[in-house]
Amino acid sequence: MPHSLTDLWYGFTVALQPGNLMWSVFGVLIGNLIGVLPGMGALTTISMLLPLTYVIPPVPAVLMLAGIFYGSQYGGAIGAILLNLPSHPPHAVTCLDGYPMTLAGRGGAALGITMMSSFFAASFGILVMIFVSPLLVQVAFKFGPTEICAIMLLGLIAGATMSRGAPLKGLAMTLFGLLCGAVGTDVISGTLRYNFSMTELADGVELGALCMGLFGVADFLMSINRVKVKPTNAHVSMKDMRPTRNEMKKAFWPMIRGTMVGTLFGAMPGTGPTITTFIAYAIERKIAKDPTRFGHGAIEGVASPEAASHSKTQVDFIPTMSLGIPGDAVMALLLGALIIKGVQPGPQLITEHPDIFWGLIASFWIGNVLLVILNVPMIGVWVRMLRVPYKFLYPTALLFICIGVYTTKNSLFDVGEVAVLGVLGAVFLALEFPVSPIVLGFVLGPMLEENFRRAMLLSHGELSVFVAHPISATFLGFSLLLLLGQLYAYIRKVRLPRVRARGNVLANSRH
Amino acid sequence: MRFLRVRKDHAAAALIAAIGACVAGLGLTYQMGTLNQMGAGFMPVVYGVLMVIVGAAIGLTARRPSESSTAPLETRTATGPEWRGWLCIVASVVAFVVLGSHGGLVPATFVCVFVAAQGDRNNTWRSSSALAAIVLVFTVAVFHYGLQVQLPLFQWL
Repeated sequence: MPHSLTDLWYGFTVALQPGNLMWSVFGVLIGNLIGVLPGMGALTTISMLLPLTYVIPPVPAVLMLAGIFYGSQYGGAIGAILLNLPSHPPHAVTCLDGYPMTLAGRGGAALGITMMSSFFAASFGILVMIFVSPLLVQVAFKFGPTEICAIMLLGLIAGATMSRGAPLKGLAMTLFGLLCGAVGTDVISGTLRYNFSMTELADGVELGALCMGLFGVADFLMSINRVKVKPTNAHVSMKDMRPTRNEMKKAFWPMIRGTMVGTLFGAMPGTGPTITTFIAYAIERKIAKDPTRFGHGAIEGVASPEAASHSKTQVDFIPTMSLGIPGDAVMALLLGALIIKGVQPGPQLITEHPDIFWGLIASFWIGNVLLVILNVPMIGVWVRMLRVPYKFLYPTALLFICIGVYTTKNSLFDVGEVAVLGVLGAVFLALEFPVSPIVLGFVLGPMLEENFRRAMLLSHGELSVFVAHPISATFLGFSLLLLLGQLYAYIRKVRLPRVRARGNVLANSRH
Repeated sequence: MRFLRVRKDHAAAALIAAIGACVAGLGLTYQMGTLNQMGAGFMPVVYGVLMVIVGAAIGLTARRPSESSTAPLETRTATGPEWRGWLCIVASVVAFVVLGSHGGLVPATFVCVFVAAQGDRNNTWRSSSALAAIVLVFTVAVFHYGLQVQLPLFQWL
């Protein structure tokens, strides 16, 4: 532990060097600004700025990319809450309660809570990283394909059962998402699946296109010419933007819980911020005294996932750096950038490149401070963005979506995917399906399949291996509990009234 | 009203089951393989079959008399279909794709915003073009010059 502290001190000296600090600040600023623009997320931003990293040394390159990453997370939360547009898949969960809060006029408060949760969680995550890194790496080694598969199943079921509306419909959407993830080239056999003879689909559906289509375009389609004009307040002071003491009190424990969830999941390789936020949300909903508040502006539904997401991000760097296993697409990009610079991620990274590892950790904290300083006065600006009439807002957003999706792979085909997915999303929404589980299924699908096949290969086709391994059995147990819980709730809701009705009829007939 | 909701759920169930059936059907054309050595078609068929089952379940449980909690967000009024809006939004994205390769960033941006804005009944030709022009200036400045987005301002392919 004392060793870690000296390393951390070293990290701060690295991160605070003028050259490195400059790039870090640049990354944070750009990330935040672009993250707010609908249609732009960490993925797009990092891909656009990746060429910049070719000409600067590895340390500032990584600092800049990391800065973009969590800067855009802050920005993405803003987009999710105020505009129902998640630029980054984990923020899909924040939309569920953040956007209704905005509609109720409490958008500024939601942002404030987000900021607090994020800062707290990030700080906690850093502490965890410092003191627990060596331990976490050991645990991570015990995770084989069986365990990863089981944990993904849990995440998928949690995501399906917790979304707005009937769990059956959530399940259907999760399956649809898994299906979307299957489109493209099968990794193991090389067969092209479901691409309808379109070679552009050989790499699968683009994640950004999926998110923007399902959340952005579908929402526009549902809202056009139907949005009632909200009476605007004459005075929108700073006081309106600060969360009330009651709101802060309600958000406190969810924040703590979300941080715990994020830290726990951060340590596990193969899990991304997306599952983490979904599970944090599901937990809050399950233990809430009044679950019906969720989906209509419950502050816990904003505080917990955001905290989980931020702490997860910090801790997530450990398996990414030390094992080379990225948790999600953005981590994968970061990993790719590192490899391009000639830095080999793996267990030896901490010892061979301590300046990168510890400098990164130190820059997280500096970056988070910067973001808070930047965003607190800016809340007013963001909220004022809402005053722009909807008829001007949505065409602009649509354009940003088009450009944003285009720049990920310089592909206009991807933009076309947005249109298709937008229509599909609107159809689903009209039939009262929740759309968020599609994203979860899409992101986890390929990994789930790959690990499942690997596990089967290793066990020679024995399905019992999932129960034989203790860790995987535990996760499967939780999944089963979740499903049983849903069944129980359903039976109670449907059968009990019927039994009571029958009882009433009997009672009445006696008289 | 209750009748309508039951029909909606039946339509939903039918949609899911149909997708599932198609998926499973197509999936069978890829190699299924065994549990030990799964082919490309294994998981997709599993997904497809599960979807059919879930679709059936949705159809069977569609008799819920209570309100579902997926009521549209309060600010949306439940009026009839918005063909003009829908057409314009989809057309604007398509316009971006088509004009992106056969015109360049400038025409694509302008037409995209213009067509999309026209979807809203409260937008006139003037307000749409004004908006499109402003957004165009912003786009060229920030995306083309600032971020060096790889889409030429004008191009003929």
